Amino acid sequence: MTMLNLTPTELERYRRQIMLPGFGEEAQQRLKASTVLVTGVGGLGGTAALYLAVAGVGKLILVRGGKLRLDDMNRQVLMTQDWVGKPRVFQAMATLRALNPDVEIEALCEYITPENVDRLVQSSDMALDCAHNFGERDVLNAACVRWGKPMVEAAMNDMEAYLTTIIPGQTPCLSCIFPEKPNWDRRSFGVLGAVSGTLACLTALEAIKLITGLGEPLLSQLLTIDLSRLEFAKRRPYHDPDCPVCGHADKQAVAHPFTPPLLLTRG
Amino acid sequence: MAVKVLIPTPLQKFTRDQATVECNGGTINELLDSLEQSCPGIKARLCDDSGELRRFINFYVNSEDIRFLEGKNTALQEGDEVSIVPAVAGG
Repeated sequence: MTMLNLTPTELERYRRQIMLPGFGEEAQQRLKASTVLVTGVGGLGGTAALYLAVAGVGKLILVRGGKLRLDDMNRQVLMTQDWVGKPRVFQAMATLRALNPDVEIEALCEYITPENVDRLVQSSDMALDCAHNFGERDVLNAACVRWGKPMVEAAMNDMEAYLTTIIPGQTPCLSCIFPEKPNWDRRSFGVLGAVSGTLACLTALEAIKLITGLGEPLLSQLLTIDLSRLEFAKRRPYHDPDCPVCGHADKQAVAHPFTPPLLLTRG
Repeated sequence: MAVKVLIPTPLQKFTRDQATVECNGGTINELLDSLEQSCPGIKARLCDDSGELRRFINFYVNSEDIRFLEGKNTALQEGDEVSIVPAVAGG
């Protein structure tokens, strides 16, 4: 694998996390060598991107269409009020660059589509699925399965959320867990920034674990979260052997088995 | 068989805003009928017109997805916890 040397500035900047048992300079180098795709850069994806940027992930690809609205400001912590009406993904890039100039950032003011998804997934080591609609989520899930890239699935509604880490061929994919999607109005529920932010921190942590080998990622486990009562539970989601999306990924995975840490599989 | 059912927020309008409901039933099927009796209207959200469970909702008995078990015919024990987890897409 390609290990990148850390500069004296990086060694100082990340000193407190390098101290963590099981982390060390090697984990930091793995982060530096990684590219993470983040979709739906809003209350969830934007905050997850923030924690990946300050942790020293080498490159972030931020994908989010649309312009900032005033009613985004209760949770989209990368945004500033003077940016309302402008494409939010460029403000996200500017804030992250100011926080950590060592992180390379690519920002696309687009939604995830069948046309752009393959290039984006192929350019990344893993993806965070933080879009605000099922369409983008399904397209990203299928592409991650197609290219054998891990995907952290994080979604919320009101005070509830769920999280799981998908490794194609090893774990259930999003389509195994939810083969169909409901008619769902993305503006029909309330959201507190502290709720999307809580889920975002856990999402970023899953990515960091997968990249570095720290701790145990949520593989084949669905963490359900009810923040109104602070109930957290891990459940075993269904892995469908006949899944139309990943049903054949098991066989492909034999040729390219994924072993955390993520970058061990790189040439 | 007394069973605790965890209700997700979007369905709590059927449960008078309660996040948990105590129900009876020896199987998931019987539980759905018991739930409909105490919370009228909820079953149509969980099952389609032909009575099949909707595929955008997961049902877990304790921590196990019922598709690993016997689906709607999964047997329930006294004290089991049944969780209803719908697909959501909020970011």
